[in-house]
Amino acid sequence: MSEPCKMKVEICLGTTCYVLGSFRLSALEEQLPPELADRVEVAGAACLGLCKDRNYGKAPFVRINGNRVVDNATIEKVLDALKEELEKCNE
Amino acid sequence: MDMPNDVFVEMECFQLCHDGENVCGDDFLFERIENENRHLAVLSDGLGSGIKANLLACMTTTMALEFVRSNMDVLLSAEIIMDTLPVCEVRKISYATFSIFDLQIGGKSRIIEMDNPPFIHLRNGKDLKVSRQSMVSERWPDRRVNLAEIYAISGDRLIAFSDGVTQAGLGQAPNKFGWRREGALEFIQRKVEEEPEISARDLSQAVVMEARRHNKNCACIDDISCMVIYLRRPRRLRLLTGPPFRADSDAAYADLVRNFDGKVILSGGTTANIVSRELGRKIDMDMKLVMKAGSLPPPARMEGVDLVTEGILTLTEVAQRLEADPPLTTPVPLAAQEMISLFRASDEIEFVVGTKVNEAHQDPSLPVDLEIRRNIVRRLKTVLENKYRKRVLLRFF
Ligand code: FES
Repeated sequence: MSEPCKMKVEICLGTTCYVLGSFRLSALEEQLPPELADRVEVAGAACLGLCKDRNYGKAPFVRINGNRVVDNATIEKVLDALKEELEKCNE
Repeated sequence: MDMPNDVFVEMECFQLCHDGENVCGDDFLFERIENENRHLAVLSDGLGSGIKANLLACMTTTMALEFVRSNMDVLLSAEIIMDTLPVCEVRKISYATFSIFDLQIGGKSRIIEMDNPPFIHLRNGKDLKVSRQSMVSERWPDRRVNLAEIYAISGDRLIAFSDGVTQAGLGQAPNKFGWRREGALEFIQRKVEEEPEISARDLSQAVVMEARRHNKNCACIDDISCMVIYLRRPRRLRLLTGPPFRADSDAAYADLVRNFDGKVILSGGTTANIVSRELGRKIDMDMKLVMKAGSLPPPARMEGVDLVTEGILTLTEVAQRLEADPPLTTPVPLAAQEMISLFRASDEIEFVVGTKVNEAHQDPSLPVDLEIRRNIVRRLKTVLENKYRKRVLLRFF
């Protein structure tokens, strides 16, 4: 059996993201469904630099595994993205 | 001899008012004359209590500070003060006492006293013997002005109080004659032995509280003031905020953290990221703190750094809190609280402001007052200097 997939979620707590609501995402960890709960590590981050870049849509931003960006992030959007990532990883 | 820059003079005065009064009948003033390396402090006790006493005391401190600053003759100054004070209708006398400190770092300091308990010059836990020259004015023969000349060095404390301290507990066993100067001195010596680096702020407060404890039912039957002047190595703090103007100076910018002898704050996400990358130290941000952090992003940690915070919002909040008088009653967000206590525990604060022009914030309708970093830092400098008597340096990078 292969190693179970681990995922890392960074919630941006920089000025722009915080003001536009990233603090609401702090409840993410408690809302992880059982299939994700022990696979996901949630941490805060200083400005991810995305708010200054037009290519990334709208704050608040969340970054998954250091490469996938969720913009205009809500808990639902992040959970959906995490489930997708989990599937990819299980394939 | 001490180099002036290696000595910081912390001057604090803690007071309690006579019960039932809402102004204090004792008054104090401080002034720092940077370019002359001179520090002035005045404590005055006005006759009686309440507004009348307060007026006498304030007039005295104001005049005394003015005279000492201009190096006016001691006796003449005292005479003018006594001539000027209004005469109390009931007692038919005009009366206020004073202790004036004119400190010269690395040189001779003068202390002028009239009718206040004699000040304490504490060095290595000992009350140094101070010789005083006594002068009497012809016009006010029953008032005696004492002049002392001392050399104060780093580590010394100069302590003055109003008679609310020395007379605490008067008439009650076991201090029939009050706490007296000896009692206060013993207490101070014990305190300093327990906590050799106790700040002027904490020591002055401790003395006043202890004095009150000597009174029956802990009452304030007089105004109680204690002034402490503490000469010591400055406790330094450096705060970095904003990315540097040129990207190729990131390494030099981060060196300001690595090579600093004192406490360090990083305020701003990009700032923290630059230092983290250059020094290879992780930023730890605990998501669980978000809910406890109040209305600001939570503080974060980095090895070798005392505090990491968000930038603009946090600095603005801190400036507002420091300026507010009376203090705001809303709960202080965690990051602001930590920054304020680091400021308060420092003598010398250096702001290093990175001047890279920030790309516009994404959303121009942000619901906060996004003041320019530079202006907030200037505001902080002003309030820390004027209200908290810190030495503040400002450097653009
Ligand atoms: S504040 Fe979140 S990306 Fe800049």
